[in-house]
Amino acid sequence: MIKFENVSFNYPDSDDASVENITLEIKKGEAVLLCGESGCGKTTLVRMINGLIPHFYEGRMNGHVYVNETDTIQAELYETAKIVGSVFQNPRSQFFCVDSTSELAFGPENMGISEKEILARIDKTVSSMNIRPLMNRSIFDMSGGEKQKIACASVDTLNPEVCVLDEPSSNLSLEAIDDLKDTLDCWKKEGRTIVVAEHRLYWLKDICDRVICLKNGKIVFDMTMDEFKNLSESELRSHGLRSVNENLEMTPVKESPLDAGNMILENFSYSYRGFDALDIKRQEIPRGEVIAIVGHNGAGKSTFSKCVCGLMKSFKGYIEIDGKKYKSGKLLKNAYMVMQDVNHQLFCESVMDEVTLGMDDENEEIALEVLEKLGLKEFADRHPMSLSGGQKQRVAVASAVLSEKEIILFDEPTSGLDFYNMEKVAELIRSLRGNKTVFVVTHDPDLIRRCATVVLRLEKGHVADIKISGGNSKDGKEKERYFAAV
Amino acid sequence: MDGVITKKSNGKLGGKDLINIGIYAAIYCVIMTAISMLGFIPVLMPSLAVLCPLIGGITMMLFYTKVKKFGMITIITVLIGAFLWITGMGYWPFIFGIICGVVADLIAKGGNYASKKMTMLSHGIMNITIFGCFLPLYLDIDGYFASRTSYGSDYVNVLKTIFQPWTAPIILGCAFVFGVLGALLGMSFMKKHFEKAGIV
Amino acid sequence: MDPRTKLLILITITTFALGGAGGKRVEALVPVLCMMPFLLLITAKRFKTAVIGIFLFWVTTFLLGFANTHGMSGFLYYILLGSCGILGRFLPCIMMGRYLMESTTVSEFNAAMKRMHVSDNFIIPMSVMFRFFPTVIDEAESIGCAMKMRGISLTGKHASKIIEYRMVPLMTCCVNIGEELSAAALTRGLGGNVKRTNICKIGFRMQDYVAMALCLIPWILLIVDVVK
Repeated sequence: MIKFENVSFNYPDSDDASVENITLEIKKGEAVLLCGESGCGKTTLVRMINGLIPHFYEGRMNGHVYVNETDTIQAELYETAKIVGSVFQNPRSQFFCVDSTSELAFGPENMGISEKEILARIDKTVSSMNIRPLMNRSIFDMSGGEKQKIACASVDTLNPEVCVLDEPSSNLSLEAIDDLKDTLDCWKKEGRTIVVAEHRLYWLKDICDRVICLKNGKIVFDMTMDEFKNLSESELRSHGLRSVNENLEMTPVKESPLDAGNMILENFSYSYRGFDALDIKRQEIPRGEVIAIVGHNGAGKSTFSKCVCGLMKSFKGYIEIDGKKYKSGKLLKNAYMVMQDVNHQLFCESVMDEVTLGMDDENEEIALEVLEKLGLKEFADRHPMSLSGGQKQRVAVASAVLSEKEIILFDEPTSGLDFYNMEKVAELIRSLRGNKTVFVVTHDPDLIRRCATVVLRLEKGHVADIKISGGNSKDGKEKERYFAAV
Repeated sequence: MDGVITKKSNGKLGGKDLINIGIYAAIYCVIMTAISMLGFIPVLMPSLAVLCPLIGGITMMLFYTKVKKFGMITIITVLIGAFLWITGMGYWPFIFGIICGVVADLIAKGGNYASKKMTMLSHGIMNITIFGCFLPLYLDIDGYFASRTSYGSDYVNVLKTIFQPWTAPIILGCAFVFGVLGALLGMSFMKKHFEKAGIV
Repeated sequence: MDPRTKLLILITITTFALGGAGGKRVEALVPVLCMMPFLLLITAKRFKTAVIGIFLFWVTTFLLGFANTHGMSGFLYYILLGSCGILGRFLPCIMMGRYLMESTTVSEFNAAMKRMHVSDNFIIPMSVMFRFFPTVIDEAESIGCAMKMRGISLTGKHASKIIEYRMVPLMTCCVNIGEELSAAALTRGLGGNVKRTNICKIGFRMQDYVAMALCLIPWILLIVDVVK
């Protein structure tokens, strides 16, 4: 079905080949998992199958790629689109229309298929994927998981023989990953060929039947899923892979508590459009610890983080630290959020300007010290936007440390990261423990088990339970109150 | 196919080009709306003719780097004109958009979409579209006020002094000059930020 | 109502209420035309917008009347007249624009453009534009939040660079998202050489004909005027 013949590719600005001399054959109906650390070339392979390389991302290419006898180098993108459907990493950037029904019709409309046939296809997709409630709605109001479902559905209406997915789970919650798994299962039963490039492997172990691992643009191994499952954890690590049997429990690391006192969240409630997005009357949180905030979509995590950082307008609650009250205005000065898309918070021309921007008096020496600790000293004169994702994240942390913030909040710091980079983030967060109170909003159990000392679970805007490292899981008062109320 | 740098170019606008036009038009229109919110006090409306070309230049210079075919500048200018029209600024910006767009496109094409001088000139011309917003205030001023005598002749006289015909060329000139300056500003931003950020 | 009818109303209002064409004959019709957007907003259940619009319209008229009867003069008078004059003229058009935007879905709009034989070269960028507005606004808001946390504001010490601080991340983020959007759209066959189809059903109904008839009156009067 898919055939790579001695394929190499270089992106324009790099001398190193992204993939080198790949020869590979994927049979009809096979489900293949492509894995490997970041930059190993798995995304490049996916882009060759759907034709984005060389038609969208230009560069130097050798060899041939055939999908169902069609040469994707020769064929125009819209020709390839008839056979290959693609789902991408970021749910918010891959829809073209504003409402879901038009989105499902978009692909077939491009093919010039008749209106009647399109409506029939949409109907079929909607019932097979069980997404009737999502129809005729604005995609902008949907959660990441729902958006990803629409993305899959809009691939389904084109009825392609091959489906490729490029890190489809990186921005999803565990529940949404389960839904995605069901969709893939369904496609597999229909006999479609599936190629998935992924970092998180656990959800694919029952779906894929073949695993190909890449490193530096070359295939390291190519084995069946059964063989792959037998690899030891240390072997997986040596290839930069996450566990196949990922432990999904969100338990804190074992560390002795700091006993640095508590900070008290008072009256953390916020409602909009008439429903309570967040409703916490009082919650004590140990100071200086790393607190993971977990919960489903819509549990109030993002409202919570905005409130902590003082970004919610007309928010009435406050945090009490050492007997002092910090309301919104003061929180804005004392808390800092490292956003999921760090590009939002890099403003200056050089890293040095960037980190000294928020300081009361711009002291370069102190700044250099902090940069050195974070391994950024050599980049002090670089433009922050020219750095890699992880480095950008550290620049944001450096500026928070230097502007003497008491609270640092990370919003999904590990989405789309491989094992190695995830561990680095965990290390970074751990290094802040004791000096700052760190909140980490995340879906990633691996990250939690590596750095969080407290796990706070939100449910429908309430604190469902709070687990503190060393101590037993003690249910918050909030939970009792909540269930008493229900 | 050995070692070939794969790059297609034909005169026809491809899907990527059309999407780029839409994206930059959206950014430009949002900026324009934000600016006109600042100038919501109608007397400050002429600030639109200064700030839009200037700040919009940052967006447009980035857009100009993506332009390699004839038609892209025309379409984006017409779209901006159409946006002004349906947000209630009258149809003149739309008509201006068509004319200015084609002229700006031809000028930029004259510089092969690479010459800095041509780009500046082209951006200046393009921004004359904004003048279209003000045109109805000058056009047919007597005819308009003839039908508004119920407001009293004082009112008409005052309005006439505010919108004296000689102020029209000034606004038009502003739009053009600040368009050119905006292009310069945009180019300096490119050097300072965008090239380093790798989005050019 | 069909988007094409809405466009016709918009053209009519801009020509006669804003542009003041047609002279005395049409004069009596102008207030009717001016009230049309408000009526439409109410039928579309956009009460808030309608109320604000009617309020502003009424206030400007009142202020003008007030200033005239009391024989005000001087600088304040000029400003008042200038403001109300411009607002009063533009308001009906702005309201009609709001109605058009709020009551029409992007696919309806595209279908209408298609029926009017507008080229895909315009329709595709236009739908991208509409889809991208919320994204740009979202990004701008996030950047605003980030700026607040860093203490960058108009009153802060970095006020002079505020435009730079806002524009650079905004452009970078939007361009990156745009790139991903293009890739996603192209893998779903955009840009092929077949004629695109559209599943959105639009068509003229009773209310369209009534509105069109109303719009035709001033145009006919104008033509009669010109012919004479």
